[in-house]
Amino acid sequence: MAYVIGVDVGGTFTDAVLDDDAGTVIAAKSPSTPPDYSRGVLDVLELLANQLGTSLQEMLAETHHIAHGTTSSLNALVMRNVPPVGFLTTKGHRDSIFIMNVEGRYLGRAPHELQNVLGQAKDHGLVPKRHALEVTERIDRDGNVVVALDEDEARAAIRSLIADGVAAIAVSLLWSFRNDVHEQRLRELIADEDPGLFVALSSEVSPRIREFARHATTIMSTQIGPGLRDYLGALESSLRGNGLTGPLLVMQSNGGAVAAAEAPASAISTVGSVLTGGVVGSAALGRQLGHRNIISTDVGGTTFLAGLIVDGEPVRDTTTVINHHPINVPTLRVDAIGSGGGAIAWLDSGGNLRIGPRSAQAVPGPACYGGGGTEPTNTDANLVLGILTERGLIGGRKPLSLELARQAIDTQIAKPLGLTVEEAAAAIYAVQNAQTGDLLRKTVVEAGHDPRGFVLYAFGGAGPAHCAGYAAEVGVGEVVVPLGPVASAFSAFGLASSDIVLAAELSDPTVVPFDPARAEHNFAVLEQRVRDGLERQGVRFETVELHREVDMRYAMQLAEVTTPVANGPLDIAAIEDAATAFEARYAELYGKDAGFREAGIQAITFRVRGVGVLPFSPELPLVPGATGPAEPAATRPVCLDTRRGYVDTPVYDYRELRAGHVLTGPAIVEVPTTTVVVPGGTTGTVDELGSLTIRPDRREDPVGSA
Amino acid sequence: MTMPIPGSEAFSSRPVDPGELARSLPSSLPVHSVTQEQIDALDPLTYEVVRHRLWSVTDEMGEALKRMSGSPIVTDANDFDFAISDELGQEVQVGLYNTMLVGAVDLAIYWTLRHRATNPGIEAGDMFLTNDPWVGGGLHQNDVMVYQPVFHDGKLFAWTSAIAHQPDLGGVGLGSFSPAAQDVFSESLPTPPVKVVRGGRLQRDVADLWVRRSRVPMLIGLDLRAKIGANNVGAERLHALIEQYGPDTVKAVMKRMMSDAESRLRAKLSALPDGSWSATGYQDQSHEGDRGLHKITVTTTKTGDHLEFDFTGTDPQAGVINCTYAGMRGGVMLALLPILANDIPWSAGGLMRCFDLVTEEGTLNNATFPAAVGRGPIGPAWLTGSLVAECLSQMLDRDLELGRNVQATCCGTWDTAVIAGLDERGEQPAPFLNILMEPMAGGYGARPHADGMDTGGLFCIPLGRVPDVEMTEFLYPVLALWRREVPDSGGPGRHRGGLGASVAFTPHGTSIPMGLVLASAGKAVTQNQGLSGGHPGNTGLDVVARRSRVAELLAAGTMPSELAEISDTLEPGQNYASSYLAPGEVFSMTWQGGGGYGDPLAREPQAVARDLREQKITTAAALAVYGVVVADGEVDETATAAERARLRDVRRDRSRVTGRTGGKADLGSARRVDDNLVEVAGGSGTTIACAHCAEVLGDTADGPLALAVYEGAPTEAGPQIVATAADYVDAEVVFRQYCCPSCWTAVSSAVVPADHPDHAATIGRLTVATG
Repeated sequence: MAYVIGVDVGGTFTDAVLDDDAGTVIAAKSPSTPPDYSRGVLDVLELLANQLGTSLQEMLAETHHIAHGTTSSLNALVMRNVPPVGFLTTKGHRDSIFIMNVEGRYLGRAPHELQNVLGQAKDHGLVPKRHALEVTERIDRDGNVVVALDEDEARAAIRSLIADGVAAIAVSLLWSFRNDVHEQRLRELIADEDPGLFVALSSEVSPRIREFARHATTIMSTQIGPGLRDYLGALESSLRGNGLTGPLLVMQSNGGAVAAAEAPASAISTVGSVLTGGVVGSAALGRQLGHRNIISTDVGGTTFLAGLIVDGEPVRDTTTVINHHPINVPTLRVDAIGSGGGAIAWLDSGGNLRIGPRSAQAVPGPACYGGGGTEPTNTDANLVLGILTERGLIGGRKPLSLELARQAIDTQIAKPLGLTVEEAAAAIYAVQNAQTGDLLRKTVVEAGHDPRGFVLYAFGGAGPAHCAGYAAEVGVGEVVVPLGPVASAFSAFGLASSDIVLAAELSDPTVVPFDPARAEHNFAVLEQRVRDGLERQGVRFETVELHREVDMRYAMQLAEVTTPVANGPLDIAAIEDAATAFEARYAELYGKDAGFREAGIQAITFRVRGVGVLPFSPELPLVPGATGPAEPAATRPVCLDTRRGYVDTPVYDYRELRAGHVLTGPAIVEVPTTTVVVPGGTTGTVDELGSLTIRPDRREDPVGSA
Repeated sequence: MTMPIPGSEAFSSRPVDPGELARSLPSSLPVHSVTQEQIDALDPLTYEVVRHRLWSVTDEMGEALKRMSGSPIVTDANDFDFAISDELGQEVQVGLYNTMLVGAVDLAIYWTLRHRATNPGIEAGDMFLTNDPWVGGGLHQNDVMVYQPVFHDGKLFAWTSAIAHQPDLGGVGLGSFSPAAQDVFSESLPTPPVKVVRGGRLQRDVADLWVRRSRVPMLIGLDLRAKIGANNVGAERLHALIEQYGPDTVKAVMKRMMSDAESRLRAKLSALPDGSWSATGYQDQSHEGDRGLHKITVTTTKTGDHLEFDFTGTDPQAGVINCTYAGMRGGVMLALLPILANDIPWSAGGLMRCFDLVTEEGTLNNATFPAAVGRGPIGPAWLTGSLVAECLSQMLDRDLELGRNVQATCCGTWDTAVIAGLDERGEQPAPFLNILMEPMAGGYGARPHADGMDTGGLFCIPLGRVPDVEMTEFLYPVLALWRREVPDSGGPGRHRGGLGASVAFTPHGTSIPMGLVLASAGKAVTQNQGLSGGHPGNTGLDVVARRSRVAELLAAGTMPSELAEISDTLEPGQNYASSYLAPGEVFSMTWQGGGGYGDPLAREPQAVARDLREQKITTAAALAVYGVVVADGEVDETATAAERARLRDVRRDRSRVTGRTGGKADLGSARRVDDNLVEVAGGSGTTIACAHCAEVLGDTADGPLALAVYEGAPTEAGPQIVATAADYVDAEVVFRQYCCPSCWTAVSSAVVPADHPDHAATIGRLTVATG
């Protein structure tokens, strides 16, 4: 027997999914245990072992590998809970990280914050100036040394940083990706002063043109590297102590994993791991269900995350934004697009109904939680509409107060607008679905796609009550709510199904057509780096795939587009093919004739992505088939459509449903961890993996947005 | 100045009464509208859903335009915008990019409805193009608007529009900017609205006519396609929205969005005391060779729920520093949108109903054809906005809650430098032309509760950005010696103005001199004024280091960080100049930070120490400007108190007291006027008193306040005054400070021409005769 385990450490819960090579898939959930998250990991592993009826030691001894995603590094950055680090850069250019290309004022702000210019700020406290020091040196765009490194001055700077107690030093010089001689030498000089000090060079962490993002990426990587090293070191040794022999892997933003020992050196690549688990899980489930184009929506209490899978592959990005800084890290594209179940409904000073983006958070929570919240949320509206009941979730222990929900909606929304409580609740539900649809459309359209060609997946506690509504708004016909054994730990399921992915990149800005030998050389260097990296993972791969990419752009235009390049050896024709592929993709993204070919095409950054395919990945087990029609557990009046009002609606207990059951909307399905709405005019079908698929009912005209 | 040209007045567009405009349309152009009953009948659900959808339609248009455009001014500097307007052109939803353009969009649509409805007609499938700043759509000829009527069921339903700055549209100068232009005929030709798309087809003849004028016709062609594409996206999505909700509902939402924005702004205005505020500002030099100062003045009067901006007294049009009526209106919007409408949706058509403009024809910000207007947006329109912002800030400063949006003046212009030459780094030498984008990293003004944002950007382009040094060096043959924030460049104050910054380039990879064209302002007289006694931010300074040692310094393993190390021949760049930069020379630009708020002697000493640690100010300024003694990073409280008392004594000794103060007031029931003054209602009327020492300075009814005044050299404003006024203008320029004659707190501190009017003496006046 061999197991694969995915562990997803979130801010509140640590989820785990285990599968074996015989078709068993089980999940477990346990509270997270900050600041030492490793205890929560051991707790949840213990729960898995209990379910298997074995001991932790026996389970770990049989485990092929553990794939682990953690939010702790990202939390540390967002909460500014990082140790002091030093920053060394080229003389004359330290202020790059303070000027922030001006965009630091508005990057990462929600649409409604953008117009409130005077509400913005630009000082995000990345490092204090006394820790940002300049060294005399200069390299030009062709990699020539214009001014040699002043080593005496550099030593003095390093000593002053060390004397000030920095935990690590980030080195990021202009044009270091063209010539890293000064960065390498600075590492040696730092080692002379303190051989144990954590050092990151921008030419290794992010050898990409545009110094501001490169500086910020290197600095943030340095801020979380030492902490990640300590945490993973402790976790790995306690897992080893409990019998784990297989590798401990850490999930990265790029949707693949990396060996724990390798992670700290490029710590920044792990920050998005928790966000991407759901997208990887959707891709894995999509392979089983035969879906190639998927919009993945993960809706929790406060966040709404949207990811895309196109032609079976998650849509990628080369940059993300953390704390208003652009960060160079190959990543799966995940947009935080709006609000979750706790989003607050309010009236603006013009008396207009608005929803979110402010959320009731865990404390006080929605009014109906009785935690002292008096502002109405989506959850309160859903309770008034009958989508939820006062009993709360069937798997939960928290009863809800209809009275408090009604009171909040009545005072804050209904009375001022002259509506009944029910009308106000219905308005909140409809506005939430419509606005989510708008934001979702933005995500899909900006990625260059038409939402109508997609299937939508919805998970997370607050997604399934709304998904059919927002899917209809963007024109998606088919919605899948994964409800099998991993429903409550979908992100961990994604982790368990991931492969090892390593990427190496290098900016070498040049103009098309460029010398194929130069490109071939770049790719050869990057491929070697990726192969060496895969070698160091200590895992046996089924196969290793290498993908070559180059980020290209039209000379006068802003957008860089990642374009695949044929495997070598490259010739003029292959370069032309890449340029053609770039033009096609550009047209797809920005419209036919949008490109300005006459200005020329530039190749900016070369990249190799290596995928080490692991021997097996989980498949969800089949659920038993239905022997008779589905029987509702109850009926209750539910309002899903303002035009129809409250309708007696059948309510199904998911635990009683079987593969092949077809529910005719309107219907409610109560699941231990969530509640699914099947609107009128649609049907919900339980498939053989236990997921519920909602489609328009062909027998009846689909009904609007409800 | 050139004489007005008969016949040109037909192209001057002005705001119109919508009802009158609707009635003037021919029967061949039926328009779709809704009744007030239909608007009132909207339910909150539908309203919010459709409103949000309209927002997302505009957003998608902007994204399309930005991604498709080929001009760096669009893609990097975000100098563009877009809008959805109702059937008569009133703006329902606008983008967040260049906010000045908002004041020009509707003017062009009104003009089009008046002059194109019959011949050649306005029909489905048409798109118009204009770059005539007198007609509207943009603020100078480089702003090009492509806009389309959207029809539903044969009726004109709405308009979509996309505007972007184009890099070159012909004329004498590179980039269509000629620093020596005497009139518009030296600039790019203004094009009144022409039908560039007819029946959905791009008109090849019109498109050719359009691109033919440019030095970069292919780029202009690309941007034309980008704007057409953005309009197509807008129309397509608008049609889908109409399809789903019906034309009447969508139109009712559009109308209500505007009336909602209007009523919310009116409510905000009603809550404020009535009053009148004045501000006067300057552009130094009007064109290459000029040494004059050119003023714009505005009196802002708030009565009830309405504002009036009266520009009477503004100087006559001159040189290249003029803008049309559209520019003046755009300048007002640049201030009004973020300051008064930060929490109101930008349904500009409704917001613009809340003010009137009073102005004389033929002046700097209401220029008559054929004045040169190339510098329109960056010169006079911007200054108009800065002055209106100064008035609105004084208005809001009376109110603690609304006072959160009070801000001293931000960086007052975009210091422009164009370099052009030969890039010899590749196998084939290639010509290049670059507008240096770095000066978009200007500083923001300080506020009653916060320091100004350092290098926060340009207030009129909320989403602007500057390029990375590596991208600039990759594209152009230059090496940046430094790009850094400039300590002390933020205006001193109780809260400090945001820092401006500086960059220095030397040619690298070219063997022949490159051309250098300069255009700027704010070197002799500051444009980033302080508020409530706060000092102005820095003056700008452009310098060419001739006979430079830079090559030797680099070869010797040093990286110079000061111009003094580089050369003994430092040539100040004039505001308007055509010059050159030779290999081995260095060109340095220092641009404006923001103004300060409140008396710098009242700044928290710990904040001064923090500024020193973070190198926002120098040690010299901490002592001389803030009166704070810092030793080993720690504030010496005793020495600081003594130094601050000494500096107040200096103020007393050097100032002249005008008028007589009226003893101490009881501040128990005082109402805030600004950081220093309060209004005290008493038996014999309302008096103005010092908030710090309670001295009565006058009453609200008549006469100037009894303040002490001092005039000295501009550098007495602080080390931020880095340029010498006499290098640029003939007029005398002074540092003028007004203080409370009892406690010697500064209530106004400015660098102004010696004949600058005394607005400070009328602070706190609630009513000024407007007749």
